[in-house]
Amino acid sequence: MDVESMQTHPVIGSWRSRAAPSRPSSLYLLCWFLGSVLLAFLVIPLVALALTQSGTSLADVARMADVRAAIVLSLEGALLSAALAALVGVPLAYALARTAFPGKGVIAALIDLPLAVPHTVAGIALLMVFGRQGFFGEPLQAIGLKFWGTIAGVVVAMLFVSAPYTVNAARIGFEAVDPRLEKIARTLGLGPWRAFMRITLPLARRSIMTGVTLTYARSISEFGAVIILVYYPMTAPVKIYELFLRFGLEQSAAAAVLLLIVSLSLFVLLRTLAQRGAEQRENR
Amino acid sequence: MSAGVAVEALTLTLGAFRLKELDFALSSGEILVILGPNGAGKSVTLETIAGFHRPDSGRVLIHGRDVSGLPPERRKVGFVVQNFGLFPHLTVAQNVAIARHADRAVAASDPAFPPHGDPAALLGYFGVAHLAERAPQDLSPGEKQRVALARALAGAPDLFLFDEPFSALDAETRDRLRDELKSFLRALAIPAIFVTHNRNDALELADKIVVLREGGIMQSGPVAEVFQKPANSFVARFVGVENILHGRVTELSGGGVTLAVAERTLRAAAPGTPIAARSPVVLSIRTEDVTFCSPCGERAPQSGVNRLEGRVTALRRVGPLLTLAIDCGFPLKAYLLASQFRETKLGVGSAVAAEIAPEAIHLMTE
Repeated sequence: MDVESMQTHPVIGSWRSRAAPSRPSSLYLLCWFLGSVLLAFLVIPLVALALTQSGTSLADVARMADVRAAIVLSLEGALLSAALAALVGVPLAYALARTAFPGKGVIAALIDLPLAVPHTVAGIALLMVFGRQGFFGEPLQAIGLKFWGTIAGVVVAMLFVSAPYTVNAARIGFEAVDPRLEKIARTLGLGPWRAFMRITLPLARRSIMTGVTLTYARSISEFGAVIILVYYPMTAPVKIYELFLRFGLEQSAAAAVLLLIVSLSLFVLLRTLAQRGAEQRENR
Repeated sequence: MSAGVAVEALTLTLGAFRLKELDFALSSGEILVILGPNGAGKSVTLETIAGFHRPDSGRVLIHGRDVSGLPPERRKVGFVVQNFGLFPHLTVAQNVAIARHADRAVAASDPAFPPHGDPAALLGYFGVAHLAERAPQDLSPGEKQRVALARALAGAPDLFLFDEPFSALDAETRDRLRDELKSFLRALAIPAIFVTHNRNDALELADKIVVLREGGIMQSGPVAEVFQKPANSFVARFVGVENILHGRVTELSGGGVTLAVAERTLRAAAPGTPIAARSPVVLSIRTEDVTFCSPCGERAPQSGVNRLEGRVTALRRVGPLLTLAIDCGFPLKAYLLASQFRETKLGVGSAVAAEIAPEAIHLMTE
């Protein structure tokens, strides 16, 4: 919601007209003060990190083939992980939003589980099933799908820790779509699939895009599960860790800033695209 | 092929809720209103007719065609819901064009109706062609209703279903849209089932009424019958009868009934259904059928009319009228006009005599 629509909003607008003329109420002053502490805490370390680097040091690190490869692998892995999360997470979200059954709360809790598990623990658990003798790892090896030393392992580790964002956001999106709109579409001659594709999915699109974007961002940043399941090939976070261990702060900081710039610009781009697409549709 | 719609012995279990053997029918061009409180099963009934719930037993026939086994998309029903349910992500024209039978001829009897229901012609019929490129959220309620009707017709329906479309509107808009809807439905002559908990909707729109309570039919019949001769005290209260009194039959004689209510005696016309002497009965008297005089002077009541002396206990303004609460051994309500009120100088405690014609007393068994 932009500022103008907030001012004319029947509920939100009212606080402005009452509180704004002389001075904002102490409640809002306090909220803004406490909030800016958090904002400073989030932004200052990243800005400080960025300021340590000159253009030349960034250019130097960008010329290193292994750093570039690591960044590209991170982006590729995250893209695949986000696509997979959308493929299997969106249907699950729809099923959870539209059906009621005993034990639904348990399933919702299971979906959130990866958020509560330390990612090193997730990595060890994944290694047990996707490793050479693992429940999935062994049979899938027969069809040429290996999870050690391959991008497949990277994707598995990323997906495990980031899929909940897609499921949860998409579920909220589906729940916000009035089921009667689907019913009306059915009476107009659309089968269940067409009604879903033409009505429900477009209306939940904004939430789904938000969820997939979060999954993508979380996948890029994943370190713990990836380093345990697959050390090589290195994703950017693993590469930065390796540079830190071998060459110290300076080398790793340059690679870190490079990754920061790449992933931040991608994230901003995705958010803008998702936002703009949604605003065109939605002025309810 | 019989024209019209029939619901036969429809039974449905939905968790703890049950629809019990619903039976009703309406012929082509008729409007049937399902009236009942929240939780009575009105919407579930409508959704079962549309095909969203599988009934345990019973059938739905539309123009003689048994649609009971068909999915909603093949039943040819037009569905209109609260706030009209336009798709918010589509323009008005796209809302209408989404229907898969947009090219199928519509079975409307109005000669002005476009023979082929293409979106532009449908919007034109309802006078909203100029809104084609607008977003639904920019429309007024009246415009939304017209677009919703155009969209429903694009599906070439044999039956309209309305699920409380007006329940979020203010009273004035509601009245206007209800009149408009009625004239559209009359012109189109497509049968319609309209669900509401508002008795004014029922009174204004209905040819027939089905009163529903807890999944069962309390009464069904022509609108005048349900309003004038409610089957029981629940229906009476729901159709707005304010004087519901408990009494006892004391004597049956010559086309009339003598009743005891509290300590008073009343004469009523003989009811349509047989009634036993000394049995308990419930009296339903519409407020507008209670007249009064104060002071009555020498004027004797017309022959046969019940006259009950009492006192005013309360006066309440309702629109252009006042409701007079009278205590005449039992509570009774009557209307008076504001001008009458000024003339009579009535106040709380004033002595009045209420008068009720025997024909205005409707007797029920519960």
